[in-house]
Amino acid sequence: MHAIRAFLATPAGRFVGIYSLVLSVSFLVLASKPVNDRIVNPYTTMVAHEARVVLNLFGEGATVSKQVLSSPRFSVAIFNGCNGLEAILVFVCGVVAFPAPWRRKLTGILLGFLAIQVFNVVRVVSLFYVGALRPQWFSVSHVFVWQSLVILFGVVLWLVWVRRYALADTRP
Amino acid sequence: MPSQTPVLELRVFLRRLPLALVGAVIVWALATPVYSRMMCTSAQFLARIFEVPPASAVVAQGRDALLGRTDMRVDSGWLKFPLTQIHFNLVPFLALVLALPHPLAGGGWRRLLLSLAILAASHALSLLWQLKCLEAFSMGPWSRANYSDVARNVYGTLRYFFDIPVTFALPLLLWVGTYPQQVFALVGLGAPVRR
Repeated sequence: MHAIRAFLATPAGRFVGIYSLVLSVSFLVLASKPVNDRIVNPYTTMVAHEARVVLNLFGEGATVSKQVLSSPRFSVAIFNGCNGLEAILVFVCGVVAFPAPWRRKLTGILLGFLAIQVFNVVRVVSLFYVGALRPQWFSVSHVFVWQSLVILFGVVLWLVWVRRYALADTRP
Repeated sequence: MPSQTPVLELRVFLRRLPLALVGAVIVWALATPVYSRMMCTSAQFLARIFEVPPASAVVAQGRDALLGRTDMRVDSGWLKFPLTQIHFNLVPFLALVLALPHPLAGGGWRRLLLSLAILAASHALSLLWQLKCLEAFSMGPWSRANYSDVARNVYGTLRYFFDIPVTFALPLLLWVGTYPQQVFALVGLGAPVRR
């Protein structure tokens, strides 16, 4: 108990403590039915539409019905956990928990949100093509490759935000 | 107190990360067969602690786990669950660790072992909540007779938390918690570390 208290008194400990708290509350709010119905599902549908626009640039003739993205070649359903919201929350909570001015936090949240959106559309489109061209690789690409990359992308984005924006005027 | 360290540490870290990712994938691929069996054994042990008679079963089958009960009819279906879904986060965690300068120096290996133990515990618990949700939600009249609405809500919430927030956020939290000096030096807080 003493060791935990001592750790939480350090800058890293405070970061881990605030991060865990903000993340837990955020995911609890996200899991509630009203938020799921009014925000998460429409957001997931928006992600499906973004992917549809990109796929149609390649002539796929894709359509979207609720959270299902379909074309004559392949269909994918985008569930909670695949819509990029988890990566956005992991990143945003890291920004909120880091000791920096709020204006810089807001800049980080906005730019991070946009970057993760783009990253997630690339993920959905690539998974669509993996499913269409190499369906036997779909599961490993979906679970293992892209989810690992999503975590690393969130962490790298957070590191870059801290270095470039949060502590911008402390650099020599 | 922010340091005047240039962004060099971060650049070196970002250059190392792709190679560290390859190393992490190799370690993960080699460890997976043994690790999957250990995960299944741990989850089954946890499930049976308060069970009379102990009948919950978690059986490793390649990259999957078969979840079910041994006191059901022989022809009862078992749920096949992909274990990669749970333990893939070892890869980003190991990649982040391996990309740091000298992660095992200065007692780092002890802290790394502790972090891996925490991650392994989260995996065993995650598999346990999958099993409990199967029993609480998907076994028809047996589920309704043995699990209350409160129990279903508790297990559903635990499964959700271990499925998404814990799986995605724990690698970052453990990384920062295990190597606070190195990570904070990367972002410019605290003393830079030796490369």
